[in-house]
Amino acid sequence: MNARPRPGVPWRRAVLVVMAASGLALGTAAATAAPGKPPAHRTAAAARAVSAPAASTCDPTASSLRPSGPPQVTSGSFMAKIRARGYLIAGVDQSTYRFGFLNPLSNQIEGFDIDMVRAVAKAILGNSNPGTVHFRAISDAQRIPDITNGTVDIVAHTMTITCDRLKLVDFSSVYFLAAQRVLVLKSSKAKSLDDLHGQKVCATHGSDSVDRIKQHHAIAVQVPYWTDCLVLLQQGDVVAISTDDSILDGLAAQDPWTMIIGPQLTSEPYGLAISKQHPEFVRFVNAVLQQLRTDGQWKSIYTRWLGTPVKNPPPAHYAG
Amino acid sequence: MTTSVGVSPGPVTTVPAVRRAWWRPRLDGATTPARLRLLLALLILLSLAWGVLAALTADQHASAAADVVAVSEPLSLDAEQIYTSLSDADATAANAFLAGGLEPTKARQRYQADITEAAIRIEAASALVGSSAARTQLPGHLAKQASAAGTAVGDDLAILSGQLPAYTDEVGTARADNRLGLPLGAAYLREASALLRETLLPAASDIYTRESALLTSASAQATGLPLIVVAVVAALGLGYVFFRSSRWLSRHTHRMVNYGLLLATLAGLVSLVWLVSAFVVGRGDLLYAQQQGSAPAQAFARAEVAALQAHADESLTLIDNSGEDSYQQDYLAQQKLLGPGPGTLLAAVQAAAGSGGPGRDVAAEARAWYQAHAALRATDDAGNHADAVKSAQSGDAATTFARLSTTLSEGIDTHQAVFAASARGGRDAFTGLAVGMIAASLVMVAGCAWGLSRRLAEYR
Repeated sequence: MNARPRPGVPWRRAVLVVMAASGLALGTAAATAAPGKPPAHRTAAAARAVSAPAASTCDPTASSLRPSGPPQVTSGSFMAKIRARGYLIAGVDQSTYRFGFLNPLSNQIEGFDIDMVRAVAKAILGNSNPGTVHFRAISDAQRIPDITNGTVDIVAHTMTITCDRLKLVDFSSVYFLAAQRVLVLKSSKAKSLDDLHGQKVCATHGSDSVDRIKQHHAIAVQVPYWTDCLVLLQQGDVVAISTDDSILDGLAAQDPWTMIIGPQLTSEPYGLAISKQHPEFVRFVNAVLQQLRTDGQWKSIYTRWLGTPVKNPPPAHYAG
Repeated sequence: MTTSVGVSPGPVTTVPAVRRAWWRPRLDGATTPARLRLLLALLILLSLAWGVLAALTADQHASAAADVVAVSEPLSLDAEQIYTSLSDADATAANAFLAGGLEPTKARQRYQADITEAAIRIEAASALVGSSAARTQLPGHLAKQASAAGTAVGDDLAILSGQLPAYTDEVGTARADNRLGLPLGAAYLREASALLRETLLPAASDIYTRESALLTSASAQATGLPLIVVAVVAALGLGYVFFRSSRWLSRHTHRMVNYGLLLATLAGLVSLVWLVSAFVVGRGDLLYAQQQGSAPAQAFARAEVAALQAHADESLTLIDNSGEDSYQQDYLAQQKLLGPGPGTLLAAVQAAAGSGGPGRDVAAEARAWYQAHAALRATDDAGNHADAVKSAQSGDAATTFARLSTTLSEGIDTHQAVFAASARGGRDAFTGLAVGMIAASLVMVAGCAWGLSRRLAEYR
């Protein structure tokens, strides 16, 4: 399938399903989209990177619990506890434009991830009044500890489902599919990460993106937040930023003199993280996500934050 | 020490020959005119030596006091102002940022005033350090210390003047992005704040530390005892020589009083009294300037800087609450430094403030702010970001902080005024002292020459 021209949407979905099921990543399909580049070694690298931790039967995109019908708050469940409390506590990002960011105009946290959380809160509490969600802005590193120690009920934080993370927390079904790419200034001659050999490329501390940058023999410059990377790019301290295209889109939207280049280097399926102690909540959230997928809300949220053309929501796959 | 009038022959004649000094036999063998000439030469030499010693003593104290007033004090004041202005700019920029695109005019003006003040002070300090001529007059070890500090301070000032435009540039970009509603603005503001805290403030702090040390040294030099004690001992010795001389003269020349020597002795006495009283007055003023002026001002300034940094932390936590909560951690660290409580900055402020003047209620003011801040954090953590922002901008947190900050600023101003007035008084006590000492020694020389030449003339 490498040799095929850029596939249409239905075909692509089929490929995604197949690849996801086999533990491969979108890298293969992405590589075909890169003009003039032999995809072979990158495909292999991407496949290796994604499948390496999944030595067992782990499949990040099909590991969640199947919902039992439409979302229902059963008595004694974790959802009932949240309803009694009156608000949902969500760990979110405050600095990723379009996914989770503090809008200076409204002083509210907004974005794609935030709308996912609001949908869950509405399903539990029956309304979306102000105060039904308590947002806690947390860092990348805080996401898993905050779930395991119960500081937050749910994490919506451009969080990729990985096999390593699945050992510690549960995830919802995939609600967004991202892929690592590269952002450069429009004056750049680079066509992909390979052209940035030996040059400085920015990513956040400890992100998986750093590993990919190093694999491509670029120098990884690490900062706390993605917007810091854009500052460095604008100030000429780095030549590129490499991470999930969802994040890069948000950065590019803040600086019209940048562009996203190159193939999709990885597949990053995003999930909402939930404690392993509340399987009923995982099923509930999956039921909510299923509603969003089918009633067109997912697409309207996509349009609201990411514009057109609208993609189709990633299909849900469950572990059983 | 006055000339002796009608003193009977002293113990000189009763001293056994064996115990006589080596020069005695030669002098005994000489004629009276020869002895008189020798005495004249000795007295002139001693008068001049006294003049040199007294002038040197006066000059050391005067130049140290002058350095305190003209260089060390202005430089440490400049450094303190650079530090507080930059800290205030950091806090103001962050607080104004919270308002989004519609930044309050007052905040903008305050930020601009801070930057202007810092720039003016950096330039003034550079000019002071550059004109090191003022400090070459200083006594040896102090000049060496000043020169070493001057080099380091020069480097710090170069950092400050070089990085200040970079800082304002980043704040400007942050403001522009914020106006467009872009989260990138927060990243620029964080970057600017980091540049300020990691590069600009340490340089300003270094200048302040060095100049405060130099101010203390110069002050210690101006008020120190060693040289003045040497001078007083020398003066007493000189008085004894004049006493013996006039007694010898009255015995050998059959005149009760030698008016020349009397004049010389009086001149010497006047110069000693002047030197000692100038020293006592100058020392008192300079010590008062330090104890009631610069030391309390420094206590207030240190508390002000910590409070400003905590205030910036409060705003930055709200602006960029990306979960690391490093700014909130820093707020708590600054709060701990500030106190109140034993060993804290506010304890020093309270000690300095005494029972009157600004700073009496500083502990209560600080506690009120901490309380408002804790409430603000609770509001924000509960997801009510907009209300937390309101508290930081115009609500409880804003008003309680403003009260604390105003008290601390007033404290700095009050004590700096005390310092300036007292230090000037101290410096003025030494005015004309060195010249006076030389003049007095010349009068002494003239008196000796006049008094002894008249006796010498009788032998021609």
